Amino acid sequence: MTKTQVQLRVNGRTHELWVGTNRLLLDALHDDLGMADVRYGCGEGVCGTCTILLDGEPVSACLLFAVQVEGREITTLTGLPAADAESHPIQDCFLQAGAAQCGFCTPGMMLTALALVERTERPTREDIRYELVGNLCRCTGYTKIVDAVEEYACRRRGNGSHD
Amino acid sequence: MVAMTEAIESAPAGTTEFTVVGNSPAHHDFQDKVQGTLRYGADWKLPGMLYGKVVRSLQPCARITAIDTSAARELPGVVAVLTASDVPFNKVVDNASGGLGELTVAQPVLAEDRVRYTGEPVALIAATEPEIAAAAVDLVDVSYADLPGIFDPEEALEPEAPLVHEAGNVLVNWRIGRGDAAAAMAAADVVITGEYRSQHVEHAYLEPESGVGWSDNGVLTLRVSTQVIEHASQIARILDVSENKVRIIASYMGGGFGGKEDMTVEPYLALLAWHTQRPVRMVWDRQESILASTKRHPFVMRYRTGAKADGTLLAQEIDIIGDAGAYPCLSARVLFAGAALAAGPYRVPNITTRSRAVFTNNVPASAFRGFGAMQVVFGYESQMDKLAERLGLTPTEIRDRNQVSKGDTIPTGESLHTAVELTATRDLALARLGPRSTATGPGCRVGRGFASGMQPYGRTIWFRDHASVWLTLQTDGSLLIRSGVTDLGAGQAASLCQIASEVLGAPLEEISVYIGDTALNPPAGGTFATRQLYMSGNAVLSGARELRDSLAAVAAEELGVPPDTLVWRDGMVRTADSSGQNRGIRLAELAQMCQRRGVSTSNLHTWRARGGEFDPEAGQGDSFPDYTYGTHAAEVEVDTETGVVRVLKYAASHDVGQQINPVRVQGQIQGGVMQGLGYALMEDHALIDGQPVSTLFANYLIPTTMDMPDIEVDVVESGEGCGPLNARGIGEPPVGPCAAAIASAIKDAIGVRPNRLPITPERVLELIDEQAAGRVAKDGDHE
Amino acid sequence: MTGAFEYQLADSWEEAVELHRIWGEDGKILAGGQSLVPMLNLRLVQPAGLIDINPIGAVEPRVADDRLVLSALTRHQDLLRSPLVREHCPILAEGAAQIGNVRVRARGTVGGSMCHADPSGEIPCMVLALDGQLIAHSPRGQRVIDAERFLRSYLTTDLAEDELLTEIRLPIRKHGQGWAFLETVRRYSDFATVEVAATATLSSDAHTVTALRVVVGGVADRPLILSDELLSAAVGGTGRDDELRAVGAAAAATVSPESDVHASADYRRRLTEVLTYRALGKAIERGRAESKGAGV
Ligand SMILES: Cc1cc2nc3c(=O)[nH]c(=O)nc-3n(C[C@H](O)[C@H](O)[C@H](O)COP(=O)(O)OP(=O)(O)OC[C@H]3O[C@@H](n4cnc5c(N)ncnc54)[C@H](O)[C@@H]3O)c2cc1C
Ligand code: FES
Ligand code: FES
Repeated sequence: MTKTQVQLRVNGRTHELWVGTNRLLLDALHDDLGMADVRYGCGEGVCGTCTILLDGEPVSACLLFAVQVEGREITTLTGLPAADAESHPIQDCFLQAGAAQCGFCTPGMMLTALALVERTERPTREDIRYELVGNLCRCTGYTKIVDAVEEYACRRRGNGSHD
Repeated sequence: MVAMTEAIESAPAGTTEFTVVGNSPAHHDFQDKVQGTLRYGADWKLPGMLYGKVVRSLQPCARITAIDTSAARELPGVVAVLTASDVPFNKVVDNASGGLGELTVAQPVLAEDRVRYTGEPVALIAATEPEIAAAAVDLVDVSYADLPGIFDPEEALEPEAPLVHEAGNVLVNWRIGRGDAAAAMAAADVVITGEYRSQHVEHAYLEPESGVGWSDNGVLTLRVSTQVIEHASQIARILDVSENKVRIIASYMGGGFGGKEDMTVEPYLALLAWHTQRPVRMVWDRQESILASTKRHPFVMRYRTGAKADGTLLAQEIDIIGDAGAYPCLSARVLFAGAALAAGPYRVPNITTRSRAVFTNNVPASAFRGFGAMQVVFGYESQMDKLAERLGLTPTEIRDRNQVSKGDTIPTGESLHTAVELTATRDLALARLGPRSTATGPGCRVGRGFASGMQPYGRTIWFRDHASVWLTLQTDGSLLIRSGVTDLGAGQAASLCQIASEVLGAPLEEISVYIGDTALNPPAGGTFATRQLYMSGNAVLSGARELRDSLAAVAAEELGVPPDTLVWRDGMVRTADSSGQNRGIRLAELAQMCQRRGVSTSNLHTWRARGGEFDPEAGQGDSFPDYTYGTHAAEVEVDTETGVVRVLKYAASHDVGQQINPVRVQGQIQGGVMQGLGYALMEDHALIDGQPVSTLFANYLIPTTMDMPDIEVDVVESGEGCGPLNARGIGEPPVGPCAAAIASAIKDAIGVRPNRLPITPERVLELIDEQAAGRVAKDGDHE
Repeated sequence: MTGAFEYQLADSWEEAVELHRIWGEDGKILAGGQSLVPMLNLRLVQPAGLIDINPIGAVEPRVADDRLVLSALTRHQDLLRSPLVREHCPILAEGAAQIGNVRVRARGTVGGSMCHADPSGEIPCMVLALDGQLIAHSPRGQRVIDAERFLRSYLTTDLAEDELLTEIRLPIRKHGQGWAFLETVRRYSDFATVEVAATATLSSDAHTVTALRVVVGGVADRPLILSDELLSAAVGGTGRDDELRAVGAAAAATVSPESDVHASADYRRRLTEVLTYRALGKAIERGRAESKGAGV
């Protein structure tokens, strides 16, 4: 299979890799770059475990090819914490609320929520539910996830802007 | 025994002062989970690694006439193509009943001459890239000759039905009974009948079945997403190597719910890694997982319930048929749980229950959260509601008249030996619903209902369950726990740390837990049946106490006080006197002292559950160690024009004995309710003649954020339970009552009682139509 | 796992048309990829070449000649975020909000939805309800296609093998026109079981319903326009409940849907009745508010 060289900008770093044109961005991130926080869950765009931010917008990495995103800014969960911080405030909120059980949905959930709070300063629980509808979780029943996002939005308003 | 130990055990509920247990530290693996750094089954890569794929049958019932693998072999990048003849020992025998009268039927690892369900593995591929392995699957050419199949378990019981296995179609036929049900039924003032049906349900954990296998130094190692590392012995049998040459490491699972209790990728990885002598990774596609992974058993449940005019139950006659699918897996045990729990938490002096697991050419059914005891809740709670309606009693009154209490005898002849706090859970759940909502539109109606349930925790008693743990205090004061438990994501490992911390006073940050490795951990016996807090939690509790006893001897001598007066807290052991002197030794120092004196700071402990016997002939004997009870209450709105049901409010309350970690208890309950609501309203893995209608995740509907209300949780702590510190298991119990509570709320809204799951909008409209056509009896049951 | 293919980038529509011509039926256009890539992942289609038109970029929605002009590459979420869309074709925002999830809306395009032609897709249903026109380009030039003609059948459009969809033009809302998009789903965010897009025009005194247009999706191999005859019970009326119910019943009587994994034919017919009736009610109510509001 012929391979092409692509440059991926991931979490502020540029990576060069050789991939087949049919290499999904998901596989390039997970397997070629070893990013365990971007996960295969369905390959249909349904479950949200492969969520990344593409120039700030949540998208399914399982429905993009690596060759498609040259020059775009990709953010994954591990790219969120500031350089001098161990964690991003949304991660603290998820931890404290007990919003992760098996944790498999958690990175995608947080990225989607983060993008919401960027756009909507004061999301209602309904807003949060609407935005997270494409991030499935089989463990938590969602209540604590919504709690965590509400709390994060609240904290973000409280102390100006982190990140 | 040290005094404090006694204090913990004898203190009445609510008065014991725990420092770690009962709090909700977010520690351990949860840190990694929110950082996104936890490594699951697929997050593992080794040099030279190949990618494995399973070639699966497209037919539910056929003879294999030929398998042509040549085209697949020729594809560049394909390293191995294996078929049945490459499997050294091609049989897996589960014997899930533990020898109590089920048929002995072996499941091949790879189908040999015949396939029995769509999705059955036929061949294996290993290739240098996943895309190549996927392409090779399409190139394996299997020729089939159709055989007559059987897809309905009731039809499979007919004498002329095609046989799924030569041994017969009834895998197991359990009978449980007490008293004379027929006579009592004849004498009853009212008899209520009901037939209830449930569907195939997919576990739908977000992490698909996955793992990596490699062989080195003559040992085959599998690092897989599994609930049960003890399958290592089964793998050894398949490869025909000795058991000590197979090592299984369980990664933290991205959900399991029973679906990773049977083997998933293990035998295929083992065969490919063994044959190629290269590392192999296998991740099932989601669609493959939906197609071929085990499912929750659909049940057909027929009830006849006899009662006196005042509502007192006299008799139950219950018949349960479970669709086991094509192979035994754990069906025998699931149907036992269904049989044992079929009457629910109600006193019934005369009962006869028959529960059969029946083979069909459908996908195999096996363990799934609730394990047979959850399906029957829909049956017994619907019967109780109907009985109440018939007699003009409220649902609460009928339950008050019949609910079991501590000391009561259950259908197996055992007596309940711990508190039954059903009334408390019911009061809390009902109160939580608050004022009744008003309907949002003209065609909409609001309804309310509740349901109670009991769910066993721990394995069936005749398995004589045990779990081991190995605790070591290191010379720097840190504590090491080694345990063969696997972690489903519910905090199984973290809970062990909390219990050890409570006993030994080591701070949580100083405790590491190494789990799920057959080579390095003492066996804990798999994470299923809500047994790990109960089994390994007790093992850690008593193992830690034993360790503390030997450490205490040294500390006591050093401090010059009796050992039973020592206090273990905050990384120190202190004298208890309040003289202000407050002398103490840090655990690190204590460990070093022990070392100097040749006292071991390590303890390997095995905890054994109570054993007993069950007599399958008499249908009497020991069944389960104990139960967790709870009540759920729901408020729904039904759009009577579209049939759409919206859950407006949902409250759940369970008695967990003693909470080890309250946030995780809530999380288990809320997550269980999500699965229960999906089961009640939308989830259905529909099959037509053994073929799934769809294998897309887009079509297997699990609830989203928008389908779920906030789940309100109230926990009762009776202080009684068989787990460590009197805890009860809470993993499975919360899925049970959901469907019954929702059905009851829908009945309240539209006047007709659903008796078939899932209660789709379409079925709701059918019920409304039936009612309009006058085809509904007064108690809401349809004719 | 998708099979191997050659990946081609198009920077302009001209280039896309040319690449499309060269590849012929072996090539596939890749827009948002929200329908195509799942099919590639499932190995349901295995094209030899993939022509990525994303680099062309979408021109912002604009209004020209009383029409709202959308690029084929306008993404679903742009319909939600564009004030121009909300003002001139508000039904698009209402319907687009019900498409999939945020990730689907961030990538999926209106052109891709039209070309994919899913009979329960929101976009085709709304474009047909608005009586939109589709602009196709090929080496042979440009063609303007009415939506009704464009949507031929299940996953089938009127586009010739060498044609690309480049633009969608939609008449903007007239004074006194109300709208509604309603659907039912088995689960939030999924494709609709049945969906209805309706517009209603009221007389200047807001009293009489002067025109209706109703399209039902999910009940046939393509979205269906309800005929004038079916609507006659309500056109010229005042939007009374019985008038609207009569239209709903008539609509249900004419559709002949099929059964599938999510719903039976019968249930779809029932939904057609209810949703038609409800959508009409909502559209008329809004139309009334609009014409009253404008009179002040
Ligand atoms: C989880 C999920 C949920 C979804 N839910 C919904 C839903 O509720 N409602 C709904 O309507 N849709 C839904 N979709 C589909 C989504 O709206 C798609 O985006 C849309 O159907 C196709 O648009 P696209 O831009 O992604 O097209 P692509 O997937 O890129 O292409 C689709 C087809 O159109 C062709 N094509 C694309 N653009 C052109 C063009 N300009 N000219 C010629 N041919 C072209 C392609 O070759 C391909 O055959 C869902 C998708 C997912 C993954
Ligand atoms: S893996 Fe991408 S959405 Fe499921
Ligand atoms: S925490 Fe397990 S899927 Fe969400």
